[in-house]
Amino acid sequence: MFLIAHGISVRTDLPVPEVIFWWAASIVLAVSFVALAVLWPKPRLEDRAWRPLPGGIGRVLASRVVEIVCGAIGLFLFALTIYAGFEGTQSTTANWTPIFVYVIFWLAFVPLSVLFGDIFRAFNPWRAIGRAVAGVARRVTRSELPEPLAYPAWLGRWPAAAGIFGFAALELVVSGGDKPETLAVAILVYSALTFVGMALYGVEQWTRRAEAFGVYYNLFSRISPFETRDGEVGLRKPLSGLPHVEQLPGTVPLLMVMIGTVSFDGFTSKRTWNSRSPDISQSFQDHLSLTPEHALELTFLLGMLAMVLLISGFYRLGILGARSVGGGFSATRLSREFVHSLVPIAVAYVGAHYFTLLLYQGQALAYLASDPLGHGSDIFGTAGTEVSYGLIGSNVEWYVKVAMIVTGHVAGLILAHDRAVALYRDAREAVRSQYWMLGVMLGFTLLAIWLVSESNT
Amino acid sequence: MLPIAHAGHWLTGIAYFLPVICFLVWLGITQLRERRARGGRGRER
Repeated sequence: MFLIAHGISVRTDLPVPEVIFWWAASIVLAVSFVALAVLWPKPRLEDRAWRPLPGGIGRVLASRVVEIVCGAIGLFLFALTIYAGFEGTQSTTANWTPIFVYVIFWLAFVPLSVLFGDIFRAFNPWRAIGRAVAGVARRVTRSELPEPLAYPAWLGRWPAAAGIFGFAALELVVSGGDKPETLAVAILVYSALTFVGMALYGVEQWTRRAEAFGVYYNLFSRISPFETRDGEVGLRKPLSGLPHVEQLPGTVPLLMVMIGTVSFDGFTSKRTWNSRSPDISQSFQDHLSLTPEHALELTFLLGMLAMVLLISGFYRLGILGARSVGGGFSATRLSREFVHSLVPIAVAYVGAHYFTLLLYQGQALAYLASDPLGHGSDIFGTAGTEVSYGLIGSNVEWYVKVAMIVTGHVAGLILAHDRAVALYRDAREAVRSQYWMLGVMLGFTLLAIWLVSESNT
Repeated sequence: MLPIAHAGHWLTGIAYFLPVICFLVWLGITQLRERRARGGRGRER
């Protein structure tokens, strides 16, 4: 329930009715679908073409020195966030911790990953600590550490899905989930679980498959044209990292959680939710003898879960439709084969929903850097800086949001089409399977536009 | 009179979901055509 006012300004003067944007977005998707069917007969994103950055820049960027510096920065920010959470003022806007966690850590890394690749990996404090501890242990014992356990195949990305769901619950469900001290405790609990996982299964293995934020940002980074291979940063085709996402168990649920939790955040600002949730909460108080606070938390938790299940059901429906076309694939196989096409959609949802939050609350970093505890210090002389809410007009904000939604869904269509022409032997079958994916994309597009629109608010 | 009084709201709602309605109609027609085509091929054999 952090900084509920994601939409800062009220839009009243669009030059055309809002419904036109719904139609235009749908037409763009339909035209893209036809264009893909006609002009994209062979897979173009399945190859792993990559070339290093010129002039040895790629080696410098991926060098050990840069990795250590980035890891140290990540570790410093991690420690500061925990310290400020416990020692700073407990005001949400005057303390470093809530703004850093919910705005910088949670949102700013999304566009950065999409543009520049998996940079979170370099700053990941849990990975940095894990690697540092392993290095020290090797020096102290003067021997190689025992081999980690084999990561269970069935576990896949399930821990990451659970981690992202837990984080979203802290933000949207837990009463006082934006309090600095609550956040600091949550970080410590998550860190303890992460370090146990790393100790058992190895730092790299756990970071790659289970550490929620490492997995989350890695998925987004696969859209980027930048990729690090064999200790060198290089270039690849944009989007071409996604078809190579390992099809591990838990990947589909992770994407459903990513889209479903953001959808729920948007849905909580709608009249449909706000007119019914008090009654549901009241019935929990009456029948389960819960306190009003816990009844409300249970209502929000079930609401969020229901939204994730709704999104999952919708995707499943599209997959079952695609299966009916033929090709002899099981629904589970198709579900895993096409799930990477939902990553740009997840980006679109996050971007459209939190764009203004990042734009405006991100500015708070200027005064919080000078006074992270909210105790009146002025380290860099910027403590008096104020957030400027007039950076862009409300109409421009709407255009940007719609553009992000449409771009993300067209990218999803491209990925799904590319996979279909690689998967199906018959080109006609491939296109027919995509009728259903077009339906999925259209549904997700209109849902996303509705969630950021002012209708039903 | 109440349903008629609400018709304006329904029409607005339908306008928003017109793309979905169009898509479902198109999908239904396409599926029907393909089923008929498959049935026709089956009889030819």
